[in-house]
Amino acid sequence: MLKKPCGTFDQTYAQDMAPVRTLYRKILLVCLFLCIFILVPFLANNYFLSVMNIIGITVIAMMGLNILTGYCGLISVGHAAFIAVGAYASAALSNHLGFPFWATLPGALLATAILGLIVGLPSLRIKGFYVAVSTLAAHYIVIWLLLHGGEVTKGVWGLPCESPVILGYRLNTERSMYFLIMAIAALSTILAFNLVRSRFGRALVAVRDNDIAAEFMGLDVFRVKLLAFIISSMYAGIAGWLQAHYLGMITIEQFPLMDSIWYLGMLIVGGMGSITGAIFGAFAFRLLAQAVISLSPIVGQLVPALSGSSVAGITQVLFGLVILFFLVVEPRGLNHRWQVMLASFRLWPFPY
Amino acid sequence: MDLFLQLVVSGVMTGAVYALMSLGIVIIYKASSVFNFSHGSIVAFTSYLVWSLLVQLQFSPMLVLGLSLGVIFVMAFCIQRFILQPLTGQPILAAIVATLALAEVINGLITLIWPGPARVYPKVIPSGVVQMGTVVFTWEASLNFAICAVAFAGFMFFFQKTKIGLTMRGTAEDHQLARSEGVPVKRIFVLAWFIAILMAAIGGVLMAKMHGVNQEPLIALGMKSLSVVILGGMESILGAVIGGLAIGVLEALGAGYLDPLVGGGIEEVFPFVILLLTLLVKPHGLFGYERIERV
Repeated sequence: MLKKPCGTFDQTYAQDMAPVRTLYRKILLVCLFLCIFILVPFLANNYFLSVMNIIGITVIAMMGLNILTGYCGLISVGHAAFIAVGAYASAALSNHLGFPFWATLPGALLATAILGLIVGLPSLRIKGFYVAVSTLAAHYIVIWLLLHGGEVTKGVWGLPCESPVILGYRLNTERSMYFLIMAIAALSTILAFNLVRSRFGRALVAVRDNDIAAEFMGLDVFRVKLLAFIISSMYAGIAGWLQAHYLGMITIEQFPLMDSIWYLGMLIVGGMGSITGAIFGAFAFRLLAQAVISLSPIVGQLVPALSGSSVAGITQVLFGLVILFFLVVEPRGLNHRWQVMLASFRLWPFPY
Repeated sequence: MDLFLQLVVSGVMTGAVYALMSLGIVIIYKASSVFNFSHGSIVAFTSYLVWSLLVQLQFSPMLVLGLSLGVIFVMAFCIQRFILQPLTGQPILAAIVATLALAEVINGLITLIWPGPARVYPKVIPSGVVQMGTVVFTWEASLNFAICAVAFAGFMFFFQKTKIGLTMRGTAEDHQLARSEGVPVKRIFVLAWFIAILMAAIGGVLMAKMHGVNQEPLIALGMKSLSVVILGGMESILGAVIGGLAIGVLEALGAGYLDPLVGGGIEEVFPFVILLLTLLVKPHGLFGYERIERV
């Protein structure tokens, strides 16, 4: 899985299994961490940090979808609903039962895990687009249940949610939330990275590539599929938990079906079945959305028919076209381009 | 019992429109094995389009018909030629995400072209009701039912009797064999999309005429045809019709008997509950083929 530069030979099993193999990689990784946790938060302004916070939450959600769709091949068109359940579970616990910030996480995880189990059940007998249809149906049902949840979810009004308190310190600024979100995003990424190179991760890929062959080789396909559903929805639960505490207010409009489709689109644009691809996709989509928001006044001046109120429409059309473009032109996504770039950098000045 | 009969009759009337719309999904799936998730958006788009031509621009009905058919053909051609044809041979996920992305493009276009509140078609049909024993239904609903029946008869005639309909059925059976017999398979796909969008348009206009042209409800309506085809079976036209009527009736019954218990709105999700149950119990639907796979 890890592409090593020329002349790097593994002589021990520890070297073979090492997640970070070469010195350059180690230096780059440390630089990346320094950049995320020291450089960005002290140089960036509040707006940039808010964008980064949204990206961080998206990355966590994408890790889950990547495991389910990218690695296990079960197409989920209901990821936004899973996130919604995580968000509502933590908001409801903190609202009605007065749970502190950290204690709502197990509740969110439990709620989303149960939902993942239920939604995953039909995958016993179906695959391919049938899974997509069943998750789509699950999305509609979950959103409807949340909307008609009575006192628990407060219907269209939604639930307020307190900003997190850690060790008596209230995280109510963009900057303080940035550290929390990025730390959890980094942890989730490391967890996902290790998960997919474990035995379970290889089982996921086997089920994706040919589930009958996987069963023939002794894998319990149904168990792998269910676990993929549960793990994926627990990632969504973490994302929803952070989103609820970060935004301070949860309404049903934050989780449209459109979002579920965007998550799939991020996976396509970033590159299916790779951790870096999921991160690329999250960055690409969220930055593009910000670009549309900041450019739309200029477009509105040039073309008066497309006034500022049509940002939503432009975003939808543009994102849809971007997904279609990547599907047709570069189905392997940005990650493939990135790998090609890395390889050519490594081999320079030789072509190959 | 009166309530039951009433619910069944109104369910059948709605179900006929569902059945008509679902034929669109079935025909595309049969022809090209692509499951069209953008059906709901296409339903909404075409109803807005017909509203614009008919009410906003005040064109004559024949001109509206011609123009709509033209736009539908252009849509069908573009979708097949520029989106799905390059994706031939890609994994199934590509086609699924492509139709989902297409749905978003169409939704965005609707938001851009027709922003703001719902549009209304002018009332041309008397708003009275028909009384049959204890069962009451509106003239409009019964007219819808009649139009659906006529459209369905035309659809059946096309596929049973005309040469091109038979060619399409042959293509659905086996692409390679059809090609070797000289059938232009790519053009057949375009034709399949054309008929599918046409069915969506008829169903959409019928529904929009009753409930107003509104983006969200129309998309949700088109999404309900997903449950219809899953219940009926993906490969079966008969399944789509029976599934449509069944979903219509079950939805009406669910709304009639369960709404007082949960406080309304259950018909929005009832088809999806049926869909999940179908996938759990009989994944290939009532009349679908169970495919046997090999490694």
